[in-house]
Amino acid sequence: MSQLMDNSAEKIDVILPRQILLYQEENLDYILCKPKLIPLKSVTLEKLEKMQKDAELKMREAVEYSNENNNE
Amino acid sequence: MELFKALNLFNQGKYEDCTTICTNLLKKNPLDQTVWVLKMRALTLQIYVDDIEGEEEGIAESLLDNYTISSMPRPGTSLKNPGTSFTGQYLRPKTQSGRPLTGVVRPATQSAMSQSIEQTLKTPRTAMTARPITASSSRSVRLGTASMLTEPGGPFIQLSRLNISKYASQSCIAKPLFEYIYYHEHDVRYALDLAVQATQVCQYKDWWWKVQLGKCYYSLGLIRDAEQQFKSALKDSKTIEVILRLVRVYVRLDQPLTALETCKKGLEYFSNDVNILTEMGRIFDSLNNMSMSLKYYKIIAQEDASHTEAIASIGIQHFYNDQPELALRYYRRLLQMGVYNAELFNNLGLCCFYAQQYDHVISCFERAISLSTDETMADIWYNISHIALTIGDITMAEECLKLAIVSDNRYALAYNNLGVIQIRNGNITAARTYFHAAANIANFLYEPHFNSAYLAYKVGDLQTSYIAVQKSLSTYPNHADSKTLLNKLERYFTYM
Repeated sequence: MSQLMDNSAEKIDVILPRQILLYQEENLDYILCKPKLIPLKSVTLEKLEKMQKDAELKMREAVEYSNENNNE
Repeated sequence: MELFKALNLFNQGKYEDCTTICTNLLKKNPLDQTVWVLKMRALTLQIYVDDIEGEEEGIAESLLDNYTISSMPRPGTSLKNPGTSFTGQYLRPKTQSGRPLTGVVRPATQSAMSQSIEQTLKTPRTAMTARPITASSSRSVRLGTASMLTEPGGPFIQLSRLNISKYASQSCIAKPLFEYIYYHEHDVRYALDLAVQATQVCQYKDWWWKVQLGKCYYSLGLIRDAEQQFKSALKDSKTIEVILRLVRVYVRLDQPLTALETCKKGLEYFSNDVNILTEMGRIFDSLNNMSMSLKYYKIIAQEDASHTEAIASIGIQHFYNDQPELALRYYRRLLQMGVYNAELFNNLGLCCFYAQQYDHVISCFERAISLSTDETMADIWYNISHIALTIGDITMAEECLKLAIVSDNRYALAYNNLGVIQIRNGNITAARTYFHAAANIANFLYEPHFNSAYLAYKVGDLQTSYIAVQKSLSTYPNHADSKTLLNKLERYFTYM
């Protein structure tokens, strides 16, 4: 946004009304946080997370398997 | 015959099947080195990831960093404290660690600005930052232990019983063995031991071993030693991988200008190489120099028209530059390329809404919600609340923000916006509490500081207002409303 303003080299003529008074008023107001685009995940990160999930699943299966064996 | 089958499976990338055949063959003849090496390779490639891209900084590195050259670097020469030499996009929201959002999640964006210990420790290690507490390679250690536990009958190679000096002299075994130890077992000390002995055997002439030594030093935190090894390897042979690793060393040492210099030298040998250009784009991005970063990402997009990171980065830049219709085109391109996840649909929904293509908005967000995981749920509800606010449905906006907070109770942006809604409803006390909560969770945001300053000013609590507005100006020095408020306050104080 700030870049756009810097680039605008064209000047606009100021138009002043002759008869009525012109008011310019700036009011402060509360501001909202802006909408948030979510960063995408890179291929490597996705692969890492997939591997981590798979590893957790495998470990859980192994633990369950050993528990069953112990119970028998 | 069996060996041939195993080799064939290996070439097809079916590493698990290959491993099983190798295990059977090794049971028959435990001393068969061919099968042994093949199994080693298969196990390594099973869990191999690009470790340059997957690298992340733990709390130990960012906090207890003893390579810092200057605690007060000149503006524009440090990644940790980019300063005000370049005006970034202040409209851009920040991640939980206080970095401006980037197009894609990548190694350095997850690390916090370690300006204060308190801030670093406060940053939660949830899915949003995914930063481990312990030192580097902790994630890989976790992966390593998991893969070892699932191997029936104990680990494939007992590292403590390995005769390292014997294998170091056999170069065709030493290299796969090193990769196995480094990537599969994640035991950097043994890997280093092997690399040291192997490089002695070949009389310091093999650049490959120098790179491996550098990798080991890097993950042990001996950054300067790693730098020497990589430089020496680059003298012997110019490869893109080594250049990238050297650049990472300088980024870790917080010397972005040297890193950029290294990239430029690399580009002389590998002109317009996408990997090096990406690295440059990232460094400029983290220096808050958005225009330069955009320039490099555009070159990348010209070289490789389906480079996700470049497209997403250009898209996010346009969105926060008030050109949502351009951003929409880039994100649509990603959709055409086959990216299909909650993040993309959320971004598409937002771009459509602000580019006034209202017919797609609802369906995009519906898809985003149905695809979302715990990590992205809060963000999506937060964005839906913006749409509700814009169409004037305050009640729905409030509900959405509350849902965002339910998914992530440290979501500062949602607290701030809830505060603004409460002011509209006339609940001043509730609003003040929300602003304070937002400012406490994320003191790098200027909005909650300004809002609580303005609220205090309205109520007549000038001193509190003065303190808060100064905090707001310290995070965003050019914020016009904060400046106006400060002027008004100063005028009051001079009257008194």
